[in-house]
Amino acid sequence: MIQTSNLTFHYPKKEHVFKFPNIYLKQQENLLVLGKSGVGKTTFLHLLAGLLSPTNGKVMIDDVCINSLSHQKLDLFRGQNIGLVFQNNHAVQSLTVLQNLQARLFFSKQIINNKKIDDLLKELGLMEYKKCKINELSQGQLQRLGIALAVIHNPKIILADEPTSSLDDENCNVVVKLLQKQAVQSKANLIVITHDQRVKSLLSNTILL
Amino acid sequence: MTIWKISVQNIKSKQGYTLVSIFTLALSMMLLLGIQQLKKTFQYQITNNVQEIDMVVGAKGSPLQLVLSSVLHIDNPTGNILYNNAKKISESPLVKTAIPISYGDNYKGYRIIGTTKQFSSLYKAQLEKGRQANKTMEVVLGYHVAKQLGLKLGDTFLSSHGLMENELEVHTEPLTVVGVYKQANKVIDRLIVTDLETIWDVHHYHKEEKQNAKEIREITSLLIAFKSPLGFLTMPKKVNKNTNLQAALPKYELDKLYEYTGIGFTVISIIAYIIFLVSSIIIFMSIYKMIKEHSVYLALFRTYGASNFQLLKMVAYEAFIIVFIAFVLGVILTKGGLYFMFNLIDVFDQQNILQALSFRAYLQVGGLIFTVVITSVLLVIYPIIKMNISTILSHEK
Repeated sequence: MIQTSNLTFHYPKKEHVFKFPNIYLKQQENLLVLGKSGVGKTTFLHLLAGLLSPTNGKVMIDDVCINSLSHQKLDLFRGQNIGLVFQNNHAVQSLTVLQNLQARLFFSKQIINNKKIDDLLKELGLMEYKKCKINELSQGQLQRLGIALAVIHNPKIILADEPTSSLDDENCNVVVKLLQKQAVQSKANLIVITHDQRVKSLLSNTILL
Repeated sequence: MTIWKISVQNIKSKQGYTLVSIFTLALSMMLLLGIQQLKKTFQYQITNNVQEIDMVVGAKGSPLQLVLSSVLHIDNPTGNILYNNAKKISESPLVKTAIPISYGDNYKGYRIIGTTKQFSSLYKAQLEKGRQANKTMEVVLGYHVAKQLGLKLGDTFLSSHGLMENELEVHTEPLTVVGVYKQANKVIDRLIVTDLETIWDVHHYHKEEKQNAKEIREITSLLIAFKSPLGFLTMPKKVNKNTNLQAALPKYELDKLYEYTGIGFTVISIIAYIIFLVSSIIIFMSIYKMIKEHSVYLALFRTYGASNFQLLKMVAYEAFIIVFIAFVLGVILTKGGLYFMFNLIDVFDQQNILQALSFRAYLQVGGLIFTVVITSVLLVIYPIIKMNISTILSHEK
């Protein structure tokens, strides 16, 4: 469950104040947040993930007000309960695909279950790249690894920032379906933030920024 | 998966950069440790050979030259003195032992010392083979001489006049090897020892000056050990004032020499510290650069739940791995480099060249590097704590 109330944010040295609509999602409900460039989509996602502190308002995840947590507790809470998919999927270059996923579990203080990692890699078609370094992966494989990193720890919320902006129609469809599937399997809320109108037909619950 | 593993992987992924860091640091360590090792070796070589010699009496001239030539055997003598005059000094009640030495000949560059049987006890040299010289024209070889020249018991050779190898002034009387000393790690290892009469015979003192042979016999110097510290206070002054001889105190003269050479050591030390400073800056820059370049990954780890402390640990591990490898390499380079250098120039004739450095010396250099690493790690705490994950991940490309 995720709920926001009266969220506003303004960047230091800038006058513009972003105001965001209240959202309330029950377990496993999905949301598509659409908006043009510059309306504060990424800022909204970072507020939901606790990467930014709101100027006003609060974010509640499973009855926990993440804005009242200390930095250390917030880092751990985020690590354990939130999965982030970034527009430019990044993973640690010095580690292999497998090591990246192990590091993900290690930092969120979860048991490193190699069978679970293997199952997920099989499902995402990355099993044969398990021992590959990140620079050996194609853009598509990197995108799938980004999804794997966002769901391997069974988060309560999956937040995806422009996951389809650089993809063709076919791959756009594949990625959104994958995210939806993983969200169902993890019993998580999926929130996709994008300016990509193609996603509109794939996710029903939509708000416009 | 552990933080240690991630740090190791990070280091492996930037091999070129890591190698440069390790090499520069190892180089500065090599200089820092090397200069200490050289100092210690130099001090050892000096003190090891003057332990039993409190005063040297020889011909007037430079006291340092007298000590260097008669104690360390690395310079030319100041001249000769009459044996009878030297004997008068040795009769003083303040003198414990007085060992006359006479030299001026060599065999293939190795000095031939005419002396008494007490000479070998100065260096605690024991016989490895054969016996001491009992009559004239018999010699006992130092360990290094025997090893280098391949001479065996019973072999004979002809000595040359002077202290440098030459074939122009070769004496006609053959010398016979009757013994070889064990390795003493002292100057005696590279000397050929015989009795005083041999030197006099070779130089025809007896034959040409039969009438007053005993009166005109000369030696080069007298090595004296005192019974008590009173000897130090009175004897040198007495000899220098009342006789035409010169008395020099080896410890005093060599301390002075050490002071002069100390300037050289200081200069090299300063250079070593400058290089160390540069490599310290490189370490700091590499850690700081790592924070900047890897900020996306560090931010990513933070979104995974990593604490600031864990990220700091990761950075510290990387720094310590580099420093540890550099330290080990530095020690190996120091030992190997000095060993190679000394062997190449044969300065100390392979006498225990590499004196073990004290634990304190290693601790000092290690502590210095440790301080640099700790300081570097402390300086990156702030950027890590103040890391703006949102900004970093928003601008990731």
